[in-house]
Amino acid sequence: MMRPIFRVARATFHEAWRRRFLNGILIFAILIIGSSWVFAYLQPGAELQMIIDIGLGSIRFFGMLIAVFLGTRLIPDEIERRTVHTILAKPVSRAQFVFGKFLGGVATIAVNLVVMGIAFYIVFAIKAPQFAAAKPEDALIFAAMYSNIAKAIVLAFFEVWLVLGIAVVASTLFSWVLSVIVTFVIYFVGQMADFFQQLSDPERGASKLAQILLGTLYRVLPHFEIFDIREAILQGTYTPWSTLLQIIGQGLAYLVVILLIGYLVFNEREV
Amino acid sequence: MKSYKIIGWLAVLALLVAVQPLDRSVEYDRLVLGLQQPTPWFQIAARGSAGDTELAVTGVTGVIVGAALGGFREVAATMLWMKTHEYWHKGEALQAKALWLMRLVTLLDPHWLEPWRVTAWHLAYNLYVETDDPALRAKYLQMGVDCLKEGVSWNPDRYDLYLELGWTYFDKVEDFEEANKWFKAAMLYPHPEYVDRLVGHAYERMPDIPRSLDAYDYCLKRDPQDHTAKGATLTIRERYLIPWYLAEQGKYDEALAAINEYLLAKPNSSLGLHVKGAIAEQAGKLRLAYDTWKLAGDISQLDFLAQSKAVQLAHELGIETEDTAQYLYMQKVGKDLKVSMPGRDTMAR
Amino acid sequence: MAIRTDNLSKIYSHDATGRPVGLIDLSLAVEEGQIFGLLGPNGSGKTTTLKLLLGLIFSTSGSGQIFGHPLGSNATKERIGFLPEGPYFYEHLNGMELLSFYGTLFGMGGSRLAGRVEELLHLVGMWDRRFIRVRDYSRGMRQRVGAAQAMINDPDLLFLDELTSGLDPIGAMEMHELILRLRDQGKTIFLCSHLLKDMEPLCDRVVILDRGEMCQSGVVEDLLRVENQYRLLLSNCSDELTQQLQASAQRTEAVDDQLAAYYTDQSAALAAAQQAAAAGAVIEALGAHHRTLEEVFIEAVGGEK
Repeated sequence: MMRPIFRVARATFHEAWRRRFLNGILIFAILIIGSSWVFAYLQPGAELQMIIDIGLGSIRFFGMLIAVFLGTRLIPDEIERRTVHTILAKPVSRAQFVFGKFLGGVATIAVNLVVMGIAFYIVFAIKAPQFAAAKPEDALIFAAMYSNIAKAIVLAFFEVWLVLGIAVVASTLFSWVLSVIVTFVIYFVGQMADFFQQLSDPERGASKLAQILLGTLYRVLPHFEIFDIREAILQGTYTPWSTLLQIIGQGLAYLVVILLIGYLVFNEREV
Repeated sequence: MKSYKIIGWLAVLALLVAVQPLDRSVEYDRLVLGLQQPTPWFQIAARGSAGDTELAVTGVTGVIVGAALGGFREVAATMLWMKTHEYWHKGEALQAKALWLMRLVTLLDPHWLEPWRVTAWHLAYNLYVETDDPALRAKYLQMGVDCLKEGVSWNPDRYDLYLELGWTYFDKVEDFEEANKWFKAAMLYPHPEYVDRLVGHAYERMPDIPRSLDAYDYCLKRDPQDHTAKGATLTIRERYLIPWYLAEQGKYDEALAAINEYLLAKPNSSLGLHVKGAIAEQAGKLRLAYDTWKLAGDISQLDFLAQSKAVQLAHELGIETEDTAQYLYMQKVGKDLKVSMPGRDTMAR
Repeated sequence: MAIRTDNLSKIYSHDATGRPVGLIDLSLAVEEGQIFGLLGPNGSGKTTTLKLLLGLIFSTSGSGQIFGHPLGSNATKERIGFLPEGPYFYEHLNGMELLSFYGTLFGMGGSRLAGRVEELLHLVGMWDRRFIRVRDYSRGMRQRVGAAQAMINDPDLLFLDELTSGLDPIGAMEMHELILRLRDQGKTIFLCSHLLKDMEPLCDRVVILDRGEMCQSGVVEDLLRVENQYRLLLSNCSDELTQQLQASAQRTEAVDDQLAAYYTDQSAALAAAQQAAAAGAVIEALGAHHRTLEEVFIEAVGGEK
């Protein structure tokens, strides 16, 4: 049952690297990460914080861009170019096809993020000791920083994969432009989830109906902010693996929901 | 609808419901670990619509808003921060704008210490010197201090802003008691070693000789090789201890004689004059105290404590004087400028 | 029974006159070991039927079975092969990679797959060009590789849409030979085409579609057979001769500048031939008459109107 999925995934993975636009994004991301080095110099008194923020921010932002522009095209391209006909005529179910395409996207993004992550980690590893030496009183924070940053990067993977899932499913429902917009909207709104929670707080005085609506919206939306452990990085808090696994678990749960929706929609799709 | 579809959508619903407990658990964990950073949307909005006419919203470009909303708050804060520097250096007209942006940065990223520090510095130091009006200066001091206090409330586990706050009190307001309060707070967390010595310096200048010796003692216990502490201890013992002890015992005339002896050799020593002024005040010789503090203030323009004390004594004596910024500030916060020497509250030590 | 449909329909919409657009109530049966032709002009619903049978699109009513399984089931797909019109493949792969990829979708692998790929590439004449990428293929090369991927799993039932499109006459001939060979091996072939002439020698049974509806079906031999009809084809006929022949023959037909006359028995035809020869006409052909599929089609479609 799994083999066709992996075959499709592998074919997708190889094909994805031919998309120049995506490679361009990757290169641009690496340039930005590299240049954070210079930014830090330009700002007197700026701390390692800036490098970390720009680095992690770039990984997440450009990863998200790749996820959207790759994910929304994975299935439509196959349909528009009619390459899907010969594949679905083979013993590959629609579910296996969608999931295989998605997995191929997952692999592509994984490689992209690893490259960006390495670039960032190099810049960070070179700069960090300098700052650590300058501020010995922050030794505890620095000690935890390396592992915290690695954990943050791991969480970024899951955040971007979740966006990919949304993008792929959106592309089965809407036209390309609309699916791109929908994915971005869900992402931004998901990031702002705590805003809805604040709004639905009875103290804010919104109407009961609005409170319920907003509260439900908050519950249903994927909460992208759970992947953010920046505070731990800055405060030197040790982030236990149990928390990490729970966060990843939640992300995966949302991913399963989204892929399930995608399957239900695509299973009726005529090609 | 086909049966598998019904099952499928029910499964979707079931999963969404099943995820909720996990969601709560994660939320709780994040809260406990301090990872939750709810965006202070309402605070930002409130500031944006505050009555203060200086607040202008330009400079916050669409990109920054997008970044702030899209989960890239820190990047937005970084970008905004760079912009504020740009505005600040463009001259006075844009400084208010720059200040508002700086406060926005602190809201967007409250755990980034740099903006708090720099904003407070701009207020207490730079804007302070741009005006000559003592009342306005006092206001800027207040704003700087308030800014740091807010920063501290966001970052209670870091020494940095406690130190900044303490230093502002130490250097600009010269309210050494308050300064030490904050220095000692900083010492509760991992901090650089010079903070410990600052406590001693502050007590020295207050002046409170016994406490300063205690502070240096603590430094030496922590690090027997601390040369500065050692040197300070020796100096204090040599110069100020005897006058102080004499004053403690109520032998004011002998105390004054002792300190005068030192001042003969070093007439411009501000610490010596501080001690003399404190003794005089304690002895009830207000005129002498006034003259001493006045002299100290005149010798060193930056000796704000001396100036404040001079103003206070001038008011008491009915001498015409101009209120300094620091004096006005202390008045506003209801600070008592009276010297406290043991003999009055030995037990409190 | 390899394929069977019962009132299979796919209605997309209705045209201005209220007539449904798509495929309407198609019932056909294809036995194993046959070459079956689904014929008709472009837009008659051939590709729609094909896609319905393969499970690529879904019917609005009616049903169908392939090897006893419902349309589109994975059990069916293990035993069939499909060559679509086009065809469209991943551009960045070369012939060998493409075939290997399709093979892996059947769970094939290793040396068995490699061997099969090589065998098929030789069969379709693409072995020498196996490293060329699909994006650089000519139309004919696509067709060849397409046929190869359709056969990668040695299917019992092959669906071929416009098999010879893009092929030169020799290539087309090779394909036809291949089809016949496969049929002899016991395989079933389902052909879709608008080239009625080409299909005539190949198909055992045909169904002719016109605007979504079946307008003719049957065993080819039976459809083409015309009892007792002989045809005399003449050129250089004088008007006088033409009139004479029109009177004596069952019917006559002017074909370009030739005249065809039909007789129910051979001797009458012979007599007419001698008569014509004596009158100075040239005998182009004389013999038993067979209809062509084209004629069958035109008749069937004409009958509609």
